[in-house]
Amino acid sequence: MFHYEKKLQFPVKIATPNPKLAAFIISQYGGPDGELGASMRYLSQRYAMPFAEGKGLLTDIGTEELGHMEMVAAIVHQLTRNLTDEEVRNNPTFSPYFVDHTAGVYPTAASGFPWSAASIQSTGDVIADLTEDLAADGAMA
Amino acid sequence: MLIENNGTCSTGSAAATASCPDSNGTMPSCAGLAVPYVPFQQNNPQKYSQSEALSNGTLFPGLNLPFHLAVEGSSLPNTPLAELQALEFVVLELGLYLDTHKDDTEAFHLFKQFTAMEKAARAAYESKYGPVTKQAAAAGDSYQWLSDPWPWNFAQNEVK
Repeated sequence: MFHYEKKLQFPVKIATPNPKLAAFIISQYGGPDGELGASMRYLSQRYAMPFAEGKGLLTDIGTEELGHMEMVAAIVHQLTRNLTDEEVRNNPTFSPYFVDHTAGVYPTAASGFPWSAASIQSTGDVIADLTEDLAADGAMA
Repeated sequence: MLIENNGTCSTGSAAATASCPDSNGTMPSCAGLAVPYVPFQQNNPQKYSQSEALSNGTLFPGLNLPFHLAVEGSSLPNTPLAELQALEFVVLELGLYLDTHKDDTEAFHLFKQFTAMEKAARAAYESKYGPVTKQAAAAGDSYQWLSDPWPWNFAQNEVK
């Protein structure tokens, strides 16, 4: 069960939009090691976790990752607001994203590959899962 | 020349060299090629203040591994929202810490204390800027949940 809090975990205030940067940052939202993957990874793996400490951590960190996902989405949203036609046309980095998603926030990797559960794993084996977490997230945080 | 495990240097004996074929260089006589280590976070670790914690992304200096060794954290705006976010971050970090250190009574005491502070700060914030939770929305005179700004709006951080 989850309740929404109408605020971000950390302030996001981007004065100058920058669609090129948005085209890179989007990977932290929907890329293989992005926040969507992180939250799904932890919240799915916790059912096979035999230890209370691990159940607690996977639940709490997985929940925190949902908040991270929202912050990254807010960053992308603010980087792509009030764009002019010219800013999009003359931006070969951002324009392919714009073709399908305009200034909407869509979970995709920077490469254009849409978010996929194939980039995460839940094996039912605690050691295998934690090892994957280390590879994906650098640390369990 | 070899460095023994106690840190003193001596000339390696033929026997040590024979049993430890990798004993070249300034290493303990029987050192492996690589020795990784994982320090465990001990009870009652050093902690940052709440605003330092939020801007560094961790409550614990011992867990702070700055990106590209940049020592200073990001700067926080001086707003009631950022103050509330800082308190909530401490509650969250202490919660994670307690998941693996449930018998640290001092940390549990801090957890209770910061949870109470967060609750008070949230109520003060909501009375001024509108509901953050549905529960607070239900406590108002009319349904204010839909009022701007939403968290992802640039404006939320402008006005608060």
